[in-house]
Amino acid sequence: MRDLAVRLAALDADAGAALRVISYFDSLTETRAGLQAIVRGAAVLAGCAARLDDHGRRVHVRVDPDGNAAPLPGPGDDRWMRTLVVPDGSATLALERAGEPGPVEAMILERAAGAARAVLDRTRGRVPAADPALVELIVDASAPSDVRDQALHKLHLAAAAGVRAVALPSGPALLGPGAAVAFARAGIGPSVAPAELPASYAAARVALRFAADGTPEDPGPTVVQHDSLGALAVLASLPADTEVPDLSALEHATAAAPWVLSTLYAFADAVSLRAAATTLRLHHSTLQDRIAQAAHLLGWPITTPAGRLRLQVALTLRRLRRHPA
Amino acid sequence: MTQTLPPPPFDPELAAALGVISEMLPPFSLDSIAEARGGGAFPALTDEELRRDGAFTVEERQVPGLGDDPDITLLICTPTSVEGALGCVYHTHGGGMVLGNRRMGVDGLLDWAAEFGLVVVSVEYRLAPETPDPGPIDDCYAGLKWTAEHAAELGFDPSRLIVAGGSAGGGLAAGLALRARDEGGPALLGQMLMCPMLDDRNDTVSAIQMAGLGVWDREANRMGWSALLGDRHGGPDVSPYAAPARAADLSGLPPAFIDVGSAETFRDEDVAYATRIWQAGGQAELHVWPGGFHGFDMMAPAAAISQDARNARVRWLNRLFS
Repeated sequence: MRDLAVRLAALDADAGAALRVISYFDSLTETRAGLQAIVRGAAVLAGCAARLDDHGRRVHVRVDPDGNAAPLPGPGDDRWMRTLVVPDGSATLALERAGEPGPVEAMILERAAGAARAVLDRTRGRVPAADPALVELIVDASAPSDVRDQALHKLHLAAAAGVRAVALPSGPALLGPGAAVAFARAGIGPSVAPAELPASYAAARVALRFAADGTPEDPGPTVVQHDSLGALAVLASLPADTEVPDLSALEHATAAAPWVLSTLYAFADAVSLRAAATTLRLHHSTLQDRIAQAAHLLGWPITTPAGRLRLQVALTLRRLRRHPA
Repeated sequence: MTQTLPPPPFDPELAAALGVISEMLPPFSLDSIAEARGGGAFPALTDEELRRDGAFTVEERQVPGLGDDPDITLLICTPTSVEGALGCVYHTHGGGMVLGNRRMGVDGLLDWAAEFGLVVVSVEYRLAPETPDPGPIDDCYAGLKWTAEHAAELGFDPSRLIVAGGSAGGGLAAGLALRARDEGGPALLGQMLMCPMLDDRNDTVSAIQMAGLGVWDREANRMGWSALLGDRHGGPDVSPYAAPARAADLSGLPPAFIDVGSAETFRDEDVAYATRIWQAGGQAELHVWPGGFHGFDMMAPAAAISQDARNARVRWLNRLFS
């Protein structure tokens, strides 16, 4: 058996190849894999050596197409396919192959660079950590406005345009303009003028309730932007003691077997049955059987649009109950 | 009901590869065996690929089966430029007892053969369910005896003969070591059991934990064993040569190398087999690779952990043959 992933290189014409590239690097990011694993993924999927050069941090990672780390001095070749990992150009990712990237190569570069960016953000930090007491003042609507202004000045945010408040389980944080997101579990408020940060934080706290732990017991997105919730945000105002029979049905179903919750979530979240099967690493016919069983346990059909919406709402309410206001 | 905890997570690189692999693997059920056998997921190596630019000669020999059984085919690859005495690795391919052929998995053996000076002999055994137990192990054993008896003709030193196989082939290789011991068959220098399929009872914690996950889960395993053993599968009347975990006595076996992933059906049966060899006073080297799914090193060979797993086998062979 040869490396099946290698065959991706020959599949340019296949639309599925792009999806496989996406799922490969998403998975590396989810599991917090390191830079070498990411560069190795690029090399193996593209079938040529790949390298990441972060001149700012003097990090150089090069991997050959068989997956061996193969450090090589030298600046490389201008004709290689490459992309910027960070906008200022201090870090680049390259496939050691000359010419214009084809669609799959372009996708590999984009997704590998995104995954590498998340690692660099995580390991070298974005902004120096702000004094938590100052941040709390800034997002506190009840604090006097002159005190909040002072705090904004101290954090050099008084004149910033587009700051977002972030609600973490441990408390508030701030995201400057254009800053990347690399939190474990977080709700993110809308981008606002500094004076409006209390409102952004209130929205971020609502969004945090929609964010999951990302564990088998609590599957779902771990970072949620309030902007993307839309009308779903209304669900957060439902009183905690409201009786919702669909929630009881969901608890009943998930208690029946360990795979039920992950299956329901993957099905509700995926764009297609096939995509859900990929996420679950199941064959799609196996997944089809499980979905039928799960629907039976729930007591309503879930493959119809209305039934699927009902499932999505139930899963969302379950998450809100797990993360009370 | 006993509470079974969630399985260990897959290694990050393997998890990413699994997303790609599971989409490409043929669906497995007894009804779709014909489709899986013809599938292009694992194209057979050609003679030219096996020759590696003249580094090996390649031939196929028809040799007698056991008793009235039909002849069997052996694929024989001999290194052309090796100094000193050759050894031999006798290979039983994998494929859940129902899939595969003598050319499957040989590529990795040729790497060993080039490094350690080994003749590679790979047996075409008849497959279940068309040929149930004991047909497959009988074919493997007939080929092993023929190989050992023809060591001089094949050009290797019979004291440097090992058996090797992965998955179902690992189970067959273990079965060969047991049978050679019991029937006074060929003396073996070692047995290389890569993620071997050993236990038809299919009821370990790892089998239960990994149900529905990864590669070759409990259900696929049940189908493989029932193809081989029919109604006897899981019952009292199963030969240790078919399911080596059933052997009551694991003493007097050649040194074993056993490896397996922590996130696969076979983890616990393979760990138990190594443990029982030690308890019986034997020699075994056991590697459990964290977060490995079944066959990870073959299906995602570039991953860091796959490279480590392959290197561990080479180091064991190096100690064995030098």
